[in-house]
Amino acid sequence: MSGRGAGGLRVLAVDDVAPALDELRRLLLESPDIADVATAPDAITALRLIQASPFDVVFLDISMPAMDGMELASLLTRMTDPPVIVFVTAFEEHAASAYGIGAVDYLLKPVGRERMRAALDRVRRFIASDTGATPARASVDALAAVPVELGGRTRYVRRDDVRFAEAHGDYVRLNTPSGSHLVRIPISQLEKHWQPAGFVRVHRSYLLAVAAVRELRSDISGGLLAHTDVGDVPVSRRHARELREHLLEAATRGEFDAGAAPPTGRERR
Amino acid sequence: MAAAPEPGRPRRSGWWRRGARARLGPDAMAAVAEGRRVAASVRAGLDGPGALAAARRLRRLLGADAVGLSGLSGVPTWSGHPSDQVAAAELLQRVLRTDARAARGRLVVLPLHARDEFVGALVIDGEVANAASLEAAALLGEALDRARLEASADVAEQAELRALRAEISPHFVYNSLTAIASFVESDPERARDLLLDFAAYTRHSLARHGDYTTVAGEFQAIEAYLALARAVLGERLRVQVRIAPEILPVALPYLALQPLVENAVRHGVELTGAGGFVQVSGQAEGTECVITVEDDGPGMAPGYAADVLAGRGRPGSLGLMNVDRRLRTVFGPGYGLVIETADGAGTKVVLRVPRFQPGVVAQ
Repeated sequence: MSGRGAGGLRVLAVDDVAPALDELRRLLLESPDIADVATAPDAITALRLIQASPFDVVFLDISMPAMDGMELASLLTRMTDPPVIVFVTAFEEHAASAYGIGAVDYLLKPVGRERMRAALDRVRRFIASDTGATPARASVDALAAVPVELGGRTRYVRRDDVRFAEAHGDYVRLNTPSGSHLVRIPISQLEKHWQPAGFVRVHRSYLLAVAAVRELRSDISGGLLAHTDVGDVPVSRRHARELREHLLEAATRGEFDAGAAPPTGRERR
Repeated sequence: MAAAPEPGRPRRSGWWRRGARARLGPDAMAAVAEGRRVAASVRAGLDGPGALAAARRLRRLLGADAVGLSGLSGVPTWSGHPSDQVAAAELLQRVLRTDARAARGRLVVLPLHARDEFVGALVIDGEVANAASLEAAALLGEALDRARLEASADVAEQAELRALRAEISPHFVYNSLTAIASFVESDPERARDLLLDFAAYTRHSLARHGDYTTVAGEFQAIEAYLALARAVLGERLRVQVRIAPEILPVALPYLALQPLVENAVRHGVELTGAGGFVQVSGQAEGTECVITVEDDGPGMAPGYAADVLAGRGRPGSLGLMNVDRRLRTVFGPGYGLVIETADGAGTKVVLRVPRFQPGVVAQ
């Protein structure tokens, strides 16, 4: 579809509880790249608005009188060019059926800022892949090993040996058990290449191999650290949830058991 | 069917009348075994799916021509055919009305009782000694009795598990809300974050969907709880949480971990008046998941710790016992809590569960 996502997202928020609707609108307007937020207090008004002008994404409360969010969503998915749907609800019993309808995300009220940001990231990724604007993946495996200069000679660092990468301006420092190496590449660029290989951005300056995490540590101030065998990586609050999800998925697949090195850093105070 | 009667054995045996003592031997044991099978068959009740099997076995044991079992519905399950269907039905109805034995010719109908309650009737058609009939009725009554006891024990256990689920401490709720209220003007940003934590905490504590969560889910609730506890206790509370990712998917009953942390914060820090350090760490040890919650508070005498786990602690100290009981009920007696403590030496609670347990799945 033409122009979708360009110039900011056009958002519709639907909720029958007025304060909840205000709060949702406020949160959305705080987020970057939002062109406009329209609101509707019920499903019928929402349908009218959608017919009058297209929206990129609809944030939808589930429990509403007359027509509930689920019903509205299943109507919307039958449109030729449906908006992306994100459910917002106070109670999580509906999650399974929500994803069944094809919702891109599912938020629990009250919604936190980080959670809203993650949902909007997801929406944008979904719209980008929908319009075919997927980033080139051909070069992914070209970076399975990265050339580094070492004493005037070119050596290669294997991606699989890298525990985490740390940004230094236009360079990143790749941290491996055999040492660390500076490479000239912006961290955002490296993230694009390595994301499919199990790396996640956990901080403005850090890219982390999920399988390298030996322990998650949170300290007194509530800050979170991912401990690896070559050092600790700070995890920013906005990335904490995503990292936890990646870790849970990886652990469910048994990735930390298969020939995993004995957990180090078990030091006790 | 190991105990099917041998062909050569007289069907209408007079073993009862001639005195059991003389006939005791392998055959007698076979009869006992058969009696046990009768008991097992009626476990689901006289109208249950095992009624036919029970009637068949009883018919063989008694050497009767036909045996019928009926619940209070009055529709008997027959093994064999009674010589007079109409008479049998009439007699059965009479017994179900009067709760008293009735007989006509070779036909005998005996009322059955479980826990002194009238539950149905046994119909016997054939040359069967009176004592043997009474014995059969007694066997059925006892079996039904036991089945009832077992069923009610199951129900009680389920109810107990549900009741044992830790409750949200009102004390903590109001302290949290007070702390949040105090931040509303001075630090609205923090007040907002704390409200989100409060929502996460109550959402987890009120969860009704499924009985199990994951270590990941439980830790999320703990993080929310700790954020609130920090708001309430301020600098007095120092916390460190360390968790190995491989245990994140391990299934746990809801609120198996959080009460331990709440307990450490309350007894290790809050009630001491001074500050305290609470450390939570979780890791895999072979096929087990081991989570420890430690505080450097006043600790307690080891004997008192044992009393707490046995439910003999002070009122209000039931949290740990609840968790321990639930873990043992779900995972077996080899698992549960261990308390390491001494007077003045802090308290360390170790929770041990299997990493994989068939039938225990987080929702």
